[in-house]
Amino acid sequence: MDSLTIPHLHLLLNHVPTVGSVAGLGLMLLALIRRNDHLLRASLEVLFVVALATLPVYLTGVAAGTAIEEMDGVAVNAIRTHETAALVAFIWMQLTGLAAWLALWQSRRIPRPPRANVGAVLLLSVLTVALMGRAATIGGEIRHPEILTSPAAAAAGAPAGWLTSGAIADFVTQYPWVWPAAEALHFLGLCLVLGVLLAVNLRILGAMKALPFSALHRFLPWGMLGFSLNLATGMLFFISAATQYTENIAFLWKVIFLALAGAHFLYLTVFTNTWSLKADADAAPLDKLVAVAGISSWVGVIYWGRMLPFIGNAF
Amino acid sequence: MAVLSWLEASGVSTWVREGETIWAYPTILTLHTFGMGLLVGASAVVDLRLLGIGRRVPLAPLRSLFTVAWGGFWLNLVTGSLLFAADATRRGTDPLFFTKLVFVAIGVATVVSIQRSMSNAPGNPVPGGGSEKVMAAVSLAAWIAAVTSGRLLAYVS
Repeated sequence: MDSLTIPHLHLLLNHVPTVGSVAGLGLMLLALIRRNDHLLRASLEVLFVVALATLPVYLTGVAAGTAIEEMDGVAVNAIRTHETAALVAFIWMQLTGLAAWLALWQSRRIPRPPRANVGAVLLLSVLTVALMGRAATIGGEIRHPEILTSPAAAAAGAPAGWLTSGAIADFVTQYPWVWPAAEALHFLGLCLVLGVLLAVNLRILGAMKALPFSALHRFLPWGMLGFSLNLATGMLFFISAATQYTENIAFLWKVIFLALAGAHFLYLTVFTNTWSLKADADAAPLDKLVAVAGISSWVGVIYWGRMLPFIGNAF
Repeated sequence: MAVLSWLEASGVSTWVREGETIWAYPTILTLHTFGMGLLVGASAVVDLRLLGIGRRVPLAPLRSLFTVAWGGFWLNLVTGSLLFAADATRRGTDPLFFTKLVFVAIGVATVVSIQRSMSNAPGNPVPGGGSEKVMAAVSLAAWIAAVTSGRLLAYVS
């Protein structure tokens, strides 16, 4: 990837989680005040999409940090502090997205989103908004001396604690079993997510027609379990050996297909035209096309992931 | 062992191992990954159903998933044989590799057994009896062990 365009891409994308999490939370509060279930579902969908969009923001951020570290007028410690704050915000954003997805999945099966789950999303998103704001503020101090009222971030030492990318990378290098164990989990997650999504999409394409779509919708959380497992283990790889991914064209493609696959996952969870597919009913051609696109996006994710060491330089 | 050395020195093995093209080792390994996903993934969905996930989902239509699983199996038999041939002297004497094969064999045996019991009881919904639950649990465990030992081949041996 061109090292000059990556910082620009990060500057462009970094507003999505900051503004997006506020927008999602705002919609949610409005929905709760107005007791509007449609709006509530929309806010959960927004939070899920923002969580998805936060992945490329974090990834481009790490790449951007490496690219600008050597430049004049850049506070290296501010980069490290920003990266740490961003990692914490990223993790809470993903938890918010996961809880939002779960509420959406449940609200398909029962008339309205369950209260306990909505409460959890509300709490998580309040926390995420605060953490995102903090990460963004520190990020701004990397290159904006005009707003640097207290140069605390720039003057501070490198961040300490266990939840920093440095500490995670040290953990992985210190124990030689961590990487292989995470790889094994990553492949198990792959099997789970591919198995479930293949079953659901094959039904839309006309296999297992005796089943209504809602029967296979029941299995979606297991696909989400595989997805989450692979996001967690994948982040472990990325944090421990960032440059072998940030400088890898196969990884760029993998993330693009991952974003498509994530959006398709939301489609399978909430769209009415697939949900209303009864036993023995045929899906509309457009829905079949989307099913093919969904399967293709997972094929893309797996293909580019497996090709990381061959097309790029990862091990 | 002479057979292993002969196999490893064969033209096909040399091409898989040393062919400087994306179509040799990288593509065969990638296809092997897809085969794993199809076989283990499709089989896992049936296993989860038998273990009680989506209890009300009729079992009979899920039989289509065995077509997917067997597709993955044959794909991996071919790609796995090629990968083995390319590295025969090492894998042919590697206890971890044989451990993987044993777990794959157990996994395949459970698929055969579950498929047979689902075909014998076409009435649906089949609730998933006690023996089927045990078989599903064995199946899941065998696939987890097979995938784990297979992935670890890249690091341990």
